[in-house]
Amino acid sequence: MEILQHLALGFGIVFTPLNFLVLVVGLVLGMLVAVLPGLTLVMGVVLALPFTYKMGVGPALILLTAMYVSGTYGGAITSILFRIPGEPMDVPLLWDGYEMTKRGEASLALGWSLVAALVGGLASAVVMVALAKPVAGLALAFSTPEFFAIVFFGLASVVTLSGASLVNSLVSLCLGLLIATVGVDSIYGAERFAFGQPFLLDGIEFLLVMVGAYGIGEVLTRMGAGFAGEGGEAGTGVARFRTSFPRLSQVLGMKATFARGTATGIVVGIVPGAGATVSAFVAYGLESQYGKNRAALGKGAPEGIVAAKSAATASVGGALVPLLAMGIPGSGATAIILAAFLLHGIQPGPQVFVSSPDLVYTVFATVFLGVVGMCILGFFAIRPLCKVLDAPEAIVSAFVVVFCFVGAFAARNNLSDLHVIAAFGVLGFLFERFGFPIAPLVLGTILGPLAETNFMTTMVSFDNDWTVFFTRPLSGGILALAAAGLAWPLAKAAFERLRASRSSHARPG
Amino acid sequence: MDRSRINPLRRTLVLAGAGLALAPKLAFAQAKYPSRPVDFVVPWGAGGGADQLARRLGSLLEKELGTSFPILNIPGATGNTGMAKLLSSAPDGHSIGVFIADTLGTLAGGKGRYTLADLAPLGVMIRQPSGLFVKADAKWKNFGELLADAKKTELKVGITGFGGPDEMHVVKFNEQGAKFRPVPFAKPGERYASVLGGHADIVIEQAGDVKSFLDSKQMRPIVFFADQPQVGYEGIELANKFGVSLAISQFRAIVMRAGTDPKHLAAMSAAMDKAANSPEFKKYLADELAFADSYIPAARSGAFLAEQLALIEANMPKKS
Repeated sequence: MEILQHLALGFGIVFTPLNFLVLVVGLVLGMLVAVLPGLTLVMGVVLALPFTYKMGVGPALILLTAMYVSGTYGGAITSILFRIPGEPMDVPLLWDGYEMTKRGEASLALGWSLVAALVGGLASAVVMVALAKPVAGLALAFSTPEFFAIVFFGLASVVTLSGASLVNSLVSLCLGLLIATVGVDSIYGAERFAFGQPFLLDGIEFLLVMVGAYGIGEVLTRMGAGFAGEGGEAGTGVARFRTSFPRLSQVLGMKATFARGTATGIVVGIVPGAGATVSAFVAYGLESQYGKNRAALGKGAPEGIVAAKSAATASVGGALVPLLAMGIPGSGATAIILAAFLLHGIQPGPQVFVSSPDLVYTVFATVFLGVVGMCILGFFAIRPLCKVLDAPEAIVSAFVVVFCFVGAFAARNNLSDLHVIAAFGVLGFLFERFGFPIAPLVLGTILGPLAETNFMTTMVSFDNDWTVFFTRPLSGGILALAAAGLAWPLAKAAFERLRASRSSHARPG
Repeated sequence: MDRSRINPLRRTLVLAGAGLALAPKLAFAQAKYPSRPVDFVVPWGAGGGADQLARRLGSLLEKELGTSFPILNIPGATGNTGMAKLLSSAPDGHSIGVFIADTLGTLAGGKGRYTLADLAPLGVMIRQPSGLFVKADAKWKNFGELLADAKKTELKVGITGFGGPDEMHVVKFNEQGAKFRPVPFAKPGERYASVLGGHADIVIEQAGDVKSFLDSKQMRPIVFFADQPQVGYEGIELANKFGVSLAISQFRAIVMRAGTDPKHLAAMSAAMDKAANSPEFKKYLADELAFADSYIPAARSGAFLAEQLALIEANMPKKS
């Protein structure tokens, strides 16, 4: 019960007027940076860090933690409404979310994402508070082979994203992986596919691929189709669907999805180096392989939104566990929160639970209140944002383009990045046109570098012995799941073909 | 460990600085120096070691010179993205930057886009020796035991990356028949987790950077690469006792563009000198477990950098 007392203390600290104001400011800022595709939540937290130097350590932690929490939500809105993923973690959301928007169910899709964020966030907060110390050890069981296995699992979910053709989606995935290898490799510093161009030497940011192929590509596709006029199909949809929240019975019907997503988020979040993005991809992959409604995934199924969103939000609580309990940041944003601790002369680690429990529980309380506050903010933001869809499509599209370009430019003030975005916009358009899915391309560019670094580090560490991936129980288990997921659709297709040919033989006879 | 405390954010910090960098520069000469705020380029992420140094030093210099020192975090390319920014600014004394050992390493063999001659050092502010750290409950009581073990079985050592001073120190022992296998973990969190989780046996770090793990008795140092004992861990042996005298310390210096007016250089170096000798700065050095005599004034800094570079060039590990 000591934990509850401390937690009450933490809530007490957050509920003082100044701290509460900081919390709200943090939530709003986090949501804003997450909405803009170029400003990721990690950058947002970095930009906020200098402002915390003059603050006390309490408000500083509240501000950054609140930004971290709400930063995992904001991008969902643009992802679902406009097909612009504000953060890489929001990519899986648009696979189903944007399909729902096209069907006129934008507000319902956003409602599902809110419920998922609420459930995932609160569940992970509970786990974080109850198990921070014992669970921290779990993170240490993961080494590079396990991390590679997790990322590979995320990549394997490509099968279910294929839609029409598995071959096309594999082509798309390989192209994405190829793009990810451009530049200097992270282990030996070898130059790859740079062709002597300094600009290619820096590598191609996945942000540019993501925003270009999805955001710009979609605008080009719509332009090609001739824009719908005022009150287009998406627009009328908003009026038709008044409820933006799923019914309780629907939520309960999806409890397995919620559980899978949340558990994935917590576990992946705890692993140092993996954050919300990997969680969201892996949760989506799990859902597509084991979910009840897996056949509908990618075609506008709420399960896809729930799995990815609950995992992304749950990863926040997960990532804070190794930070607080061991001083090891589990993600980019927690690395900055660690810096905030250090700048105020406090070293997170086992001793911090004894030496400054007030701070630890302030962070815990901020996560609880942050999740709730973010959902309230999101709830009020949904309706006005859906209204945007009522505007003529051509005008909305113009803003989408500006938004994509401003976001990409904000990332590193580099003009050639805008050319890259435009190029990937055209590529996205062509992909759409010729039936190649974009999702595997983006998946490859985001997860490719993670897979490569962990694969290479494993090779260095284990003397080029590739069998370790299969002989270590954790990585072996995860890879087996991935292999099963890859083999199943192929086996099923082969089986169905066999049956079809038998029955076609049988009928004439 | 500046290298990548906040690895995923490298490019982000350009943004932080951009607004300030775009502020109009006054071209005409003025008698008073500094006549306007001095850009303090930190070629590493916010919150890292170089950033913390710049922020502390900045506030001390501000008092000394009566102008502000806005920090521009410009990470990337082992510090060279930020250095490029510093070297492309006007040599009017209104841009200074942090220059650390890892960035110096990239100049080895004249492979950098610039040389030491392009920099005017204002002082080496902090020097911390690297050391090997093991999990607190590791079986080796001292480095002698560990080294004997390493000659029998392979031991994995977490390093920041290939080609840097980390790898150089570790492979020195392999020349004596030890079987140390350096494994790169660019992110500090992963590096610490590797040794705490038993995925690596040893990690090479600076004591100040793993202080929390030392204080909480999760890790302990086992040997230091230095010619003087590590502050706070005077009982820990030094590598030169075991035949490895290589000791490239992790240093952080402050530099300006070469070609800056000597008067400006002198004024800034003098301010640096005052700051380095202030009680606040001495306390910072103690907190970071750095050498108490870390500070090397401007006049001797150039020789120090050249000497360190020669040391790095002489010990470049062969690409494995």
